[in-house]
Amino acid sequence: MNGDLHHPHVSFTDGTYDGRYVFMNDKANTRVARVRLDVMKCDKIIQLPNQHTVHGLRVQKYPRTGYVFCNGEDAVPLPNDGKILDDSKQYHSIFTAVDGDTMKVAWQVMVDGNLDNVDADYQGKYAVSTCYNGEEGVTLAEMTANEQDWVVIFNLKRIEEAVKKGDFKEMNGVPLIDGRKGSRYTRYVPVSNNPHGLNSAPDGIHIVAAGKLSPTVTVMDVRLFDQLFDDKIKPRDVVVAEPELGLGPLHTAYDGKGNAYTTLFLDSQICKWNIDLAKRAFKGEKVDPIIQKIDVHYQPGHNHSSMGQTKEADGKWLISLNKFSKDRFLNVGPLKPENDQLIDISGDKMVLIHDGPSFAEPHDATIVHRSKINPISIWDRADAFFSDAVKQAKADGINLEADSKVIRDGNKVRVYMTSTAPAFGLEQFQVKQGDQVTVYITNIDAVEDLTHGFSIVNYGINMEVAPMATASVSFSADKAGVYWYYCSWFCHAMHMEMKGRMFVEPKTV
Amino acid sequence: MSFLLRILPAAMFAAGASGFAGAETLKAAPDQPLQAVLDRAQAGDVIELAPGDYKGAIRIDRHVVLTGRPGAVLDGGGAGNVVTVTAPDVTIRGVTIRGSGRDLQTMDSGVFLEKSAQRALIENNRFEENLFGIYVHGAAGSRVLRNVVEGIRDGRLNEAGNGVSLWNAPDVTIAENTFRYGRDGIFTISSRKDRFVNNRFDQVRFAVHYMYTNDSEVSGNVSVGNHIGYAIMYSNRLVIRDNISDRDRDYGLLFNYANYSEIDSNWVAGGSLDTIAGDREEGPDKERGMVPEARATQVLRSGPEKCVFIYNTNHNKFRNNWFEHCGIGVHFTAGSEGNEITGNAFVGNRNQVKYVGTRDLDWSKGGRGNYWSDNPAFDLNGDGIADTAYRPNDLVDRVLWTAPSAKVLINSPAVQVLRWAQAQFPALYPGGVVDTHPLMAPPSKPSVSRSLR
Repeated sequence: MNGDLHHPHVSFTDGTYDGRYVFMNDKANTRVARVRLDVMKCDKIIQLPNQHTVHGLRVQKYPRTGYVFCNGEDAVPLPNDGKILDDSKQYHSIFTAVDGDTMKVAWQVMVDGNLDNVDADYQGKYAVSTCYNGEEGVTLAEMTANEQDWVVIFNLKRIEEAVKKGDFKEMNGVPLIDGRKGSRYTRYVPVSNNPHGLNSAPDGIHIVAAGKLSPTVTVMDVRLFDQLFDDKIKPRDVVVAEPELGLGPLHTAYDGKGNAYTTLFLDSQICKWNIDLAKRAFKGEKVDPIIQKIDVHYQPGHNHSSMGQTKEADGKWLISLNKFSKDRFLNVGPLKPENDQLIDISGDKMVLIHDGPSFAEPHDATIVHRSKINPISIWDRADAFFSDAVKQAKADGINLEADSKVIRDGNKVRVYMTSTAPAFGLEQFQVKQGDQVTVYITNIDAVEDLTHGFSIVNYGINMEVAPMATASVSFSADKAGVYWYYCSWFCHAMHMEMKGRMFVEPKTV
Repeated sequence: MSFLLRILPAAMFAAGASGFAGAETLKAAPDQPLQAVLDRAQAGDVIELAPGDYKGAIRIDRHVVLTGRPGAVLDGGGAGNVVTVTAPDVTIRGVTIRGSGRDLQTMDSGVFLEKSAQRALIENNRFEENLFGIYVHGAAGSRVLRNVVEGIRDGRLNEAGNGVSLWNAPDVTIAENTFRYGRDGIFTISSRKDRFVNNRFDQVRFAVHYMYTNDSEVSGNVSVGNHIGYAIMYSNRLVIRDNISDRDRDYGLLFNYANYSEIDSNWVAGGSLDTIAGDREEGPDKERGMVPEARATQVLRSGPEKCVFIYNTNHNKFRNNWFEHCGIGVHFTAGSEGNEITGNAFVGNRNQVKYVGTRDLDWSKGGRGNYWSDNPAFDLNGDGIADTAYRPNDLVDRVLWTAPSAKVLINSPAVQVLRWAQAQFPALYPGGVVDTHPLMAPPSKPSVSRSLR
C-alpha cells in the first residue's frame, strides 16, 4: 500500500512537547500513525472510519495529548456503501478526534465544507479548522464559485457532553455528532474563499488562518470563542486583524515575540509581520504590520520555527519547505528535489542561512528542541513492542535470550534464535516445503549501536534487530532448496561470515 | 392616471429591435413598485425608468430591457443584490444602481448575473455603494460596457467586494468601465475566452486579479496607484497588450504560471506614490487598515517595487514593453523557460534585472534585443544595435545581492579591477541574463496618449 504522509506532530503536555509520541496522517488511506519517540518506531496505525482522506492533523496542546485532531478533507456519502454515488448533495466531511493514548476514535463530527488544516488552542477548549469548498462542488469551477468559505471552531466540552448524553448517531462503531451549520457544537467564521493554513500562536491567544486565494490572513482571538458559542457576538466578531501580506499566504510560524512568519506561495517569500500592529491596523490606526519579506526558492508551502508550535517558541530558526527547486541544484533528472531553506530569525531581520535539497516531497516538518526527546539506545526486554513474541516463546517453553530452537506445531514452524556478533544461534534449520514459518531473532548484544539484520536470500525477507530487541517474520516456505540467511546490518569484523542455511525439504507428492 | 402607460409605437420599435412581435415599452415611475412592472412585462418589452429613486431589490426573470432616463436610481436598501438577473438576453442601461447588502457570503451585488442570465448587456450604468458592482456568476456571453463602478469606500479592504467578479463565464466582455474603490477592480477565476479591455482602475487593491482564465485578452487597460496593476496567474494562451500601470505600489505586471501568451506593448511606469495621494480626494483610504502611516510625515515612497515579476512563467513572447522607474525592472525567476524577450525598454530602474536562476539566457532574438538605459555601449557601425553585449547582472551585482553592505565599495579600485578582469575573461561571468544585441534607442513608448501625467 502506498501512503501519502503529510503532517508530523509531537505529543504535548501543558502546552509544550513531552517527547512521548509523534502522530502523522496518511492522506491517501485515511490513516493515522503513531511513532514512539523513546524507540523511534511506529507502534500503531489506525484507519479512520466514515472519513475520506485525512488532511490536516494536529494534537491537543493542553492539558495533554489527549486528542489527535484529524481533518476529513473529501466528502462522501455516509455510510459510503455504494447506495449513493453521483449525488454530491448527500456527501459529508468528517472531523475526527482520536485518543492519542489508546489510538481509538473518540468521536467524529459531521461538518459543512471540506476541512483543510487544523490546530488546537492552549486551553484545551477548542479545535479550529480551515474549510474550503463551502460550495460542496465536485469540479474546480464549482469549488471556486463562492466568495467566502469559513473557519470551523469545535467546542470540545460540548462535544464531550454530547457523547455522554448520547446526542449522536453511531456510525461504523464510533459516535458521530452533527456539527453542520446551526449546531451547538460548532461555529463557522466566514473568511475569504479557499483558506489554507491554520496556526495557533504561542501567546495562547491568537489563531491565524491563511488566505491562499486572498492575499490576507485572518487573525482570531480565542478569548472571544466562549462568547461566540454563547451567541453573545457574531462569528466575524472573533476576527481581530486581517492584514494583507502578499500573494498566496499558506502557513504561519511564530517567534514567541509577537511576530508571525507567513509563507507567500505565489510571491515566493516569507513575510514577517507583527500581530499587535496588524490588530491596530485593523482598528483603523495607520500602521504597517509588515516588517520584512525575504525571497525563498521557490514557492514555500509549510514553514516552521524552532519550538514555534508550542508555548516555548524560542525565536531562533525558521525552516521554509519550498515546493520547487527548479534549477537550483545539480540536475538529477525529471524529478527534482525540493528545497528546504533555513532562516535565522533571531535578529531584527530574517537571514537566509542554508539551502538543502530533499527528496520530493517532504510535505511538512516540526522543529523540536533536542532536550525534549530522549530515546533509549538498548531495548528493554519488557517492552510491549515485541510482547507477542515473548508470549509465544513462553508458550513454547523458550527463553528468548538464551535458546535457539525449532518448534514444530503441525505445518507451523517457529524458529527461535539469538544473534550475537558474529553468529546466529542456529547455523542451520530445516523446514518442509509449504510450512508456515516464523523466525524469531533476539539480538543479545547489549551494546549501543550494535544492530543486526536477518535476511533470507531469494525469499524477500530482510529485517532489522536492534540491541536487545526481538524481531520476527512469517512466511510460507514455498520454494524447496538451500537458502542462506545472513546478517544484513553491519555488525562486526566477521559480519560477512555471520550466516547460516535454511533447508527446505521438497514436498513429497 | 396609471403609472403604467402602454405606448404602442415605442413598443413596435422595440419589437423591431429585439425581434419580438408585440413587444412594448412599459414606463415605470419611482412611487410604484418596480417589481410589479417587471412581473407584468412580456419577453422583449422595454421598461423605462423615469427619474427618481426606486426602492428595494428587483429580480429580472424574463428577457427585457431595463433602461433609465437620467436620474433614475435603483436603491437596494442595503440588503442582498440590488438587481438579480436570472433570464437570458437582459439589458440594463443608463441606471444608477446602489445600496446592495454587505454580506460577502451571499455575494451581495449591484447586479448579480446568475448562470441562466446568459448574454446580458450591462451598459452605461453607474454603480455606487455596492459590495460587488457586477457579479458575472456563470452568465456566459455577457457584456459589461462603459459603466462607472465605485465600490465601498468605508470599512476594511478585505471586507469589500470587487468592481466586477467573474466566475466560470466564457465569452464575456468587460470593456470601457471605470473602477474606483473596493477590493479588486476585476477578479476572474475558473473561466475562459473572456475579454477585459480598455478599463480604468483607481484606488483599488489589484486592478486585475486573474486566476485560471485561459484563452483570454487583457488589453488597453489603465491602472493608477493600486497595490498591483495586473496579477495574471495560472492561465494559458493570453493576450496582454497595451495596458498601462502607472505608479502601482507592488508590481505593475505579475505573471505567475502564465504560459503561451503574448505580452506586448504594455507600459509600466514607477514614480512617487505620494503624488497619487495628492491627486486623490481626501478620505477614501482612511479605513483601509493597511495604509502605512500618514503620508505627510513620511519620507517619499515610490513604486512599484517591481515593474514586472516573471515567475515560473513559460513560453511567452514579451515584446515592445516599456518598464521604467521601478525598484526592479524585471524580476525573472523560478525556472521560467522558453520566453522570448525582445524590443522592450528598461529605463531608469534602480535594478534593471533581478535574475534568480543558474541557466544562461540570451534576451535577444534574430539579432535584436532590448533597450537598456544604463548601457554605456557604442554603435560604431550605426546599425542601431550596440557593438557589445549587455549584461545586466555581472559578478559585482551578484556580490551586491549576497552582501548588500558591499555597496559602499562599488567605486573602489577592487571592484573596478573585478569588472575589468571580468571583461577580459568572460568565464568569470556568473550564469545569467545577457542581451547580445542590445538596442541603442528605445522602441516607441506604448500608449503614451493614455497616460495621466
